[in-house]
Amino acid sequence: MTETDGSERPPATLIEPIDMSTLDASFRREIQSMPDGDELSACFACTTCTAACPIANQWEYKPHQLIRMIILGMRDEVLSSKEIWECLTCFQCQERCPQKVRVTDIIFDCKNLAAEEGKIPDAIRNLARELLEKGQLYVITADWEREDLDLEPELPGLSTEEFKTILRNTRTGRIVGGE
Amino acid sequence: MPTYNLYMGCSVPANYPNYEAALLKVAKALDVELNYMEGVGCCGSPNLRAFDYYGWLVVNARTLAIGEQNGHDIVTPCNGCFASLKDALYHLRHDKKDMKRVNEELKKFDLELRGTVRVRHVVEALYTDVGVDAIREKVTRPLDGVGIAIHAGCHLMRPADVTEMSIEILEEMLRATGATVVQYPLWKQCCGATVLPVNEALAVRLARDKLRSIKDAGAEFIMVVCPACGNQLDLQQFGIKDTYGEGYDLPVLFYPQILALAMGMDEEEVGLSMNRVPADPILDHLTE
Ligand code: SF4
Ligand code: SF4
Repeated sequence: MTETDGSERPPATLIEPIDMSTLDASFRREIQSMPDGDELSACFACTTCTAACPIANQWEYKPHQLIRMIILGMRDEVLSSKEIWECLTCFQCQERCPQKVRVTDIIFDCKNLAAEEGKIPDAIRNLARELLEKGQLYVITADWEREDLDLEPELPGLSTEEFKTILRNTRTGRIVGGE
Repeated sequence: MPTYNLYMGCSVPANYPNYEAALLKVAKALDVELNYMEGVGCCGSPNLRAFDYYGWLVVNARTLAIGEQNGHDIVTPCNGCFASLKDALYHLRHDKKDMKRVNEELKKFDLELRGTVRVRHVVEALYTDVGVDAIREKVTRPLDGVGIAIHAGCHLMRPADVTEMSIEILEEMLRATGATVVQYPLWKQCCGATVLPVNEALAVRLARDKLRSIKDAGAEFIMVVCPACGNQLDLQQFGIKDTYGEGYDLPVLFYPQILALAMGMDEEEVGLSMNRVPADPILDHLTE
């Protein structure tokens, strides 16, 4: 690349500059109104959360960037990111944040917003369907194994109907029903 | 006699009845009454919290309300259930509006949640209410000091303001069996179980990092207190052999299995043959 060909180029930067016109200022307030989102704006971008995260090294958006993106209002980028769904929910970032930002809880909030807009990985959608159909994550199949161990073949006290009834009328029902 | 509401969840009874059986037998031997809760279902796991926070809140509030009725604490052997119940309760105690809204839903089941119930991991309950000294007294054939690494699990330990747990509890409980607690650098790291549905390769990598850290530190066994962590660390050793050609040969045991063996129970009683990486080498470390 030469400097003398006279064509106008944007300045060379390591990352694309953020297009300010696409920012959604209400996103920050939306997250702040959700469970555990209150401390969001206390973030001073120290990147401690990212240093604590065991998988940030393979993410395009690191935890501290996700937090900054929320504050800036990069709603679509955050809610469409694969990062929010890969988050291990291990709470290492949240534990170490010096500003008490509930990073992991906020990522949970983001997933809920993404799910509401139908932005949900197929594997998670399938899981939602299974929860609704079976009323639980795992169903006992090998009851003889239980009997060998002096356990009741079925789990004592188990009732799955209420679980299904509740989730049919909340977002789970909408996710599964509105495919 | 300490009496508890036992919330078993769905993973332990379906996938790890050996954990369930060892727990019940240990509790009986320690004079602890564990009563299976009546009419309860799945907690939904942190997965449900991720895509349906409100639904997750209501199903767990229902379980909490049932537990609250008889005044006994709820105990569970599963970190996923522990986190769901504990987190939901924490949130409802701090958010009056959601508490009111959830209670409207609970009316349909003739239930009401006041928020007075306590949720605990069953191992912590044994530690606090029975005590390490009383447990040690029942240990008739302690382990010979063999090195065991503890994987506590993220959802048991963090966030600390919600979980109210400390690693020392698990360490002291393990030492009471005669084992040596092996410290290792990645003790806090996630086992990878949660990311399994969306990125299996990443889940395998995380388990591998963890296992390598444990192996390098010289541990011979791993202790877990959660079916999801146990599944991930135990089963993935076979996947890692396929993907990376590495064998770790680290048997993974649930804490009550280790304790039961040290208390003199035999391997059939704790379903030792169901542990995927053969766990019988632990028998060689029992002193008579
Ligand atoms: S650790 Fe806390 S304050 Fe620091 S960048 Fe992360 S969220 Fe912001
Ligand atoms: S909770 Fe998610 S973002 Fe935070 S450290 Fe764990 S994987 Fe990283």
